[in-house]
Amino acid sequence: MVATGVRRSFGPVEAVRGIDLTARPGEVTALVGPNGAGKTTLLLVLATLLVPDAGAVTVAGFDPVTQPDEVRARMGWSPDVFGLYDNLTCREYLEFVAAAMRLPRSTGEARARELLALARLEDQSDQPVHTLSRGQKQRLGLMRALVHDPAVLLLDEPASGLDPRSRVELRALLRDLAGQGKAVLVSSHLLADLEELSDRVVFVDRGLTVGEHAIDALPANTAAHPWRLRALDADGLVAALDRLAVPHGDPTPAGVDVQLAGDEAAADLLARLVRAKVPLVSCQPVGGHLEAAYLELTR
Amino acid sequence: MRVDGVVTVARQEFTLRIRAGRWRWLLGTWFVLVSAFTVLVHLSVRASFHDATNKGVVVYGALVLFVLALALLVVPSLTGQSVNGDRERGTLATLQVTRLTALEIAVGKLVAAWGTALAFLALALPAVLYSVALGGIPVSRLVVVTVVVALLLGVVAALALCLSSLLARSTTSGVLSYLTVFAMTVGTLVVFGIGAAMSTEHYTEQTSCPTRQDLVDQGFPPEVLDRALADCRSTTYDGTRARTDHVWWLLAPNPFVIVADAAPQLPKETAAERRSRLSDERAGRYHEDLRHSDPLGAIGRGVRDLRKAPGSDTGRKPVWPFGLAFDLLLGAGAVWLTARRLHAPSRTLPRGQRVA
Repeated sequence: MVATGVRRSFGPVEAVRGIDLTARPGEVTALVGPNGAGKTTLLLVLATLLVPDAGAVTVAGFDPVTQPDEVRARMGWSPDVFGLYDNLTCREYLEFVAAAMRLPRSTGEARARELLALARLEDQSDQPVHTLSRGQKQRLGLMRALVHDPAVLLLDEPASGLDPRSRVELRALLRDLAGQGKAVLVSSHLLADLEELSDRVVFVDRGLTVGEHAIDALPANTAAHPWRLRALDADGLVAALDRLAVPHGDPTPAGVDVQLAGDEAAADLLARLVRAKVPLVSCQPVGGHLEAAYLELTR
Repeated sequence: MRVDGVVTVARQEFTLRIRAGRWRWLLGTWFVLVSAFTVLVHLSVRASFHDATNKGVVVYGALVLFVLALALLVVPSLTGQSVNGDRERGTLATLQVTRLTALEIAVGKLVAAWGTALAFLALALPAVLYSVALGGIPVSRLVVVTVVVALLLGVVAALALCLSSLLARSTTSGVLSYLTVFAMTVGTLVVFGIGAAMSTEHYTEQTSCPTRQDLVDQGFPPEVLDRALADCRSTTYDGTRARTDHVWWLLAPNPFVIVADAAPQLPKETAAERRSRLSDERAGRYHEDLRHSDPLGAIGRGVRDLRKAPGSDTGRKPVWPFGLAFDLLLGAGAVWLTARRLHAPSRTLPRGQRVA
């Protein structure tokens, strides 16, 4: 899936002013940016729902504007609204989507069974959708996108409203799907989840791509960010920091925060603390590397 | 467009409809209303024309007009929020990213709504058969009227569907679809009335004197011929008249006009019927034949008369083919426009509307 120079405005509002993005098969690509950055609009363009004003888009090798049917046969899209029919049962709903995807009836029935098991909704199979909890609806919406076993997955905020267990399962599921060779594009604000899940990350802000990086090669942060240190002996840690003249915050049960400019500064401080025989347990950017990079790139 | 795609959409819409509304109550109310109306009309006809024959003609005619009016009230609500309601619930976009084409979605939604309308029509069938059993209605009229009413309800459903795809708010499109029905029924009457008034022209007509041969042919006795010819003066009349033959077509799209005019004429009295009537009359038993009080026939003759040019004697020409063809084209255009509006990816969106 490749998008280059995509632009799209709604009347006078330029929602997307130039987004570049590549999502490769076998990888999970994270789409990250503030509210109103144009993520949802971009996903609508990729999902064959909006014609871009400019730019080139290819999804699963086809152009969503001129070959929407080819794209739809190979693409699954899960929007940030549920878009479910309240009065259908879960099974009926998935079978309906299968029929709409022109799958034979028997395939559709089998697919619905598999996906309901995958979403842990077997017990709710024959219950109407309106009786489901928010998280269950979210999972059913995701299963809808998987009905036709698409090669490309577009997920808009798939984890919002999910309980912790479901989020862990969602991460495992998306890794699994990428492992099957699918190109998975996830837009989300849950950066900690994305950091564990993604191979690559695309940052967008105000309708522009502001960065596209492998998750293990996020840009070195030059500006100071809070990092959190934890030691077996919090008082000893504070005393050591005072001796080294490193400004720090007040100790909390979560640890002690210091301002560090990037990985090298962190490594340097750690080495000095270890030499000072502080029993360190962990040292992490507060909110994770992805959050740090996000805050840096989307000022 | 593939048939299985249309079936998928229609079946889905149908299921949702049945589960969402209180259909049992709605259909039950409809059935009671139509049946009660029929029985009451029958009672009133029996009271006014006790010994009349062919009472079914009046009862059936009144029932058809009643059912048509009631159905025109019900049908817009079946599709008036079909597309924009889906948009508001966020279910339209998930349908658009499937492999169903826009036309399949549009036609599927129409089929479901039309099917529902036909279910209402089917529930009126017992009342219709009751009225037919009262005598005087040929099977051809029953079949033609049923088919034409069914087609017209499909047209109204298509128009309401189209409005729901054009407008962002389902309340607005709901109101507008009722206004559309109002335009087809009352609006055509109003416009025709205005048109007829505007078509008014002055005319002068000269009466000419007959020739001697004309009078002989008409059987005047020879002794008065000379007097009559001598007294005759050709005179000129001045007057105004509405040229409804120029504006009759304004009335043609009216569903009531179409149904009444399309209803095949009642058969003339057969020789056997005539013999039995005459023998009854000789015995002093007079029966009024209600075939002379046919409501549908009266409307049909009325509009056909409007079509006639003054002084023409070419007979009455039907109006309904024009009206029905116009309405069907309107309906087809509405489906086409709906499909266009459902096409994705889209370039433009109605104001204030989200894709998903």
